[in-house]
Amino acid sequence: MASNQDSNRPQNTRAIMSFLREHAPFSSMDDAHLAHFAEHATLRFFADGDEVLSPDDGVVKRFYVVKQGRIRGERHNEKEDRTETTFEISRGECFPLAAIIGERPTRTLHRADGDTFCLSIEQDAFITLFSESDPFRDFCLRGVSSLLDQVNQRIQSNAMASMGSSNSLDTPLERYALRNPIVCSPDLPVRKAVARMHENNVGSIIITDDNRHPIGIFTLRDLRTMIAEEKGPLDTPVRQVMTPDPCRLPADADAFEAAMLMAEHHFAHLCVVDDEQRLIGVVSERDLFALQRVDLVNLARTIGTATHLRTLVSLRSDVSRLVDAMLAHGADSGQVVKIITTLNDVTVRRVLELNLKKNDPGIPFTWLTFGSEGRQEQTLLTDQDNGILFRTPEGMTEEQVREKLLPFAQTINKELAECGFTLCKGNIMASNPKLCLSDREWDDWFIRFIDASTPQNLVYSSIFLDMRAVFGPTEPLHELLEKVLARIRKNALFQKMLAGNALQRKPPLTMFRNFRYLNEEKKHALDLKRQGLAPFVEAVRVFALANGVETANTLERMEELAKRGVFDPKDANAWKEAYSLIQAIRMRAHQEMLDRGEELTNYIDPDDLNPLDRRILRESFRQAQRLQQKLEVTYQL
Amino acid sequence: MLDYIKQWLERRRAGQIGAHEQDNLPAPKSAGDQLLSDSRLIVLDLETTGLNAAKDEVIAIGAVAISGGVIHLEDQFDLILRRPELDISETVLIHGIGPEALTQGHETEDALLYLLDWMNGDPVLAYHSAFDQKFLEKTLRVELGYTQQHLWIDVADLLPAFFPDAKTGGKRLDNWADFFGLEVSERHHAAADALATAELTLVALNKAGKEDVKTLKELNDKLRYHRRLQNMHRF
Repeated sequence: MASNQDSNRPQNTRAIMSFLREHAPFSSMDDAHLAHFAEHATLRFFADGDEVLSPDDGVVKRFYVVKQGRIRGERHNEKEDRTETTFEISRGECFPLAAIIGERPTRTLHRADGDTFCLSIEQDAFITLFSESDPFRDFCLRGVSSLLDQVNQRIQSNAMASMGSSNSLDTPLERYALRNPIVCSPDLPVRKAVARMHENNVGSIIITDDNRHPIGIFTLRDLRTMIAEEKGPLDTPVRQVMTPDPCRLPADADAFEAAMLMAEHHFAHLCVVDDEQRLIGVVSERDLFALQRVDLVNLARTIGTATHLRTLVSLRSDVSRLVDAMLAHGADSGQVVKIITTLNDVTVRRVLELNLKKNDPGIPFTWLTFGSEGRQEQTLLTDQDNGILFRTPEGMTEEQVREKLLPFAQTINKELAECGFTLCKGNIMASNPKLCLSDREWDDWFIRFIDASTPQNLVYSSIFLDMRAVFGPTEPLHELLEKVLARIRKNALFQKMLAGNALQRKPPLTMFRNFRYLNEEKKHALDLKRQGLAPFVEAVRVFALANGVETANTLERMEELAKRGVFDPKDANAWKEAYSLIQAIRMRAHQEMLDRGEELTNYIDPDDLNPLDRRILRESFRQAQRLQQKLEVTYQL
Repeated sequence: MLDYIKQWLERRRAGQIGAHEQDNLPAPKSAGDQLLSDSRLIVLDLETTGLNAAKDEVIAIGAVAISGGVIHLEDQFDLILRRPELDISETVLIHGIGPEALTQGHETEDALLYLLDWMNGDPVLAYHSAFDQKFLEKTLRVELGYTQQHLWIDVADLLPAFFPDAKTGGKRLDNWADFFGLEVSERHHAAADALATAELTLVALNKAGKEDVKTLKELNDKLRYHRRLQNMHRF
């Protein structure tokens, strides 16, 4: 039947439908909806450089798909008085999303980059598709970064900051301590309704009919609007000012559904109803996230008080489960890696404490971590990169201290390996005599490193520039870092060499902005760590060290650089976002490998990604290119 | 498409549009001062049984409309004519139209009347338009006795007039389509070729706007000038 219908459609309609089918979200849309698009479309041409959509055009009335060519988004950089490309939209991709959904003008000038044809539908056809096609609506909402951010931020800043748990977002709403809802009848004057809210110390009241069906909700925010906009006296029946038809969910819906619904609609309250749509409770945003602090804090405490190595080893799988759940709930990768690092730190500390109890070498030391652990960017795939910093007690030589500390460090390295921290192949470990040094020795080491580095040894040594104390006094490290940073700031040659080194790893995009694969053997593999994240980490490190930023975390470094005016704030945001998205895709891949029982690697095949993720990845790599360009310009490479 | 024609014919027979005659068909427009950016232009392509207008016949008509410099896909014409009496084996391979598709078609006369009504007397553009013009005019004359002349514009002239330096490697539709990187969904299908021709027309109209060619008359003058220039080169 479907094919029969298809052959009745004009050739050009069929051709547009098959073009659309090659691209997301159209690939998952029904034929009837594709036909609706094709039949209501116009085809427009824009020559290279023509404006397609401008903030001056007013509210966006049209939705476009690039049929051929490319559109670029332009932003004027006022500081440097030049125009910058903020994004690119290529064949099969749609624009604008945020503006048409937000019914506002676009904020970015869209310009044709090369001769470009676009298919376009008017707002009413867009609305029809948006309301009738689920895949289309999902795509539009997911693609709208502001909206997506809102959903993410609300869920994450609440759930994750309060340390999201592995399962509480799966908890059915009925298991929540639903507050006995405060209700009133539609005819109650607003004044009395507010009095009732006040008495019960709540921010909302549900208006119900005689059968206890919720018909409206009135919140303190509505009261504020009512007064500010002078909608009527306080004797007005609440029915006239309530928000009718409040959002409701059945009691067996889970907290995540509720959170998504709230985030999507900007409601802070939801009605929970029974099978017959009768009100049984109200759940507020605060209720949802109150239950969450348990798991992480609890897990951290369990690790921190474990009395046996065995317990620590077994707790590692809980960490993995926690990460899994957080990723499944769309947690922000920057927060997830910090949480992993936090839990890893707790584990490392506990291993150290347990050994100190058994066999204290008797000399105070600071346990250092380098590289990704130093940057607080660990994922489940992690090596040990650690060292020891000590102050030589009076009357002892450095060698004598090492004699005592090295056997201890060896045990620690071995036990950490049992806990899942792979032994470092490059022997960057505290049990290595070259990395178990006094403050004076570390300082000498850095002097040699900074003054006599060659590009070759820089490749292997740059991880020492991302250093953090995990255990023991932090003051010695702080003093050391201050000296190191001061030296790097003064040494332009070292900075330039570091910058040159950071440019060695190019983001995996070809000239035509397709993915550049690793090599012939791994034809479809991208290394997300070395090709995707490393360009950010390394470029940001150069800027951070050159500007005296002490933190090692890449996202925090970028924030700090924006604060100091080294990065344009908008650039910094784009780069932070791009970095986080690559990290998120990498971590999701790790979880999938774990599920399949495979060894963790950083390789992915972009063909395995859904089209939206592929597009995100491509755009993220392009941001890495922009960051590297900034490095090139700054250091004239 | 066929449904549209059916509805249109029903309305026409019911007297809503007029009798089954030509009197109340829209009159062809001439190249006046109407702005290109306001005009409706028909871009048309025919599939025929062969190249000789004296003996060959039209099999399929595909056309799209450009209004306000934009192709409106809801305003298109895609029809296979009913020509059961013709031996079409010659060109069947090129067009992918088999005889069985043709017998499914509609009464030629009705379809042509609908076409004229849909064209609305607007200027007609085609690639190597002399060919399409000859065939369409002959068919309209033979089937309907219709003899009014539309304004025809040759897209094969339009493109070199605005892109004199383009190295297309040839003068065919394919050459220009390749030059601008167009994808033709199904070459030698009347509607698909019409759409490709219309896309090329959009490119030319974009350029025209930038060269201050604003009206249909100015466009026609430019083409005439360009043709004269070409002829001078020829001698």
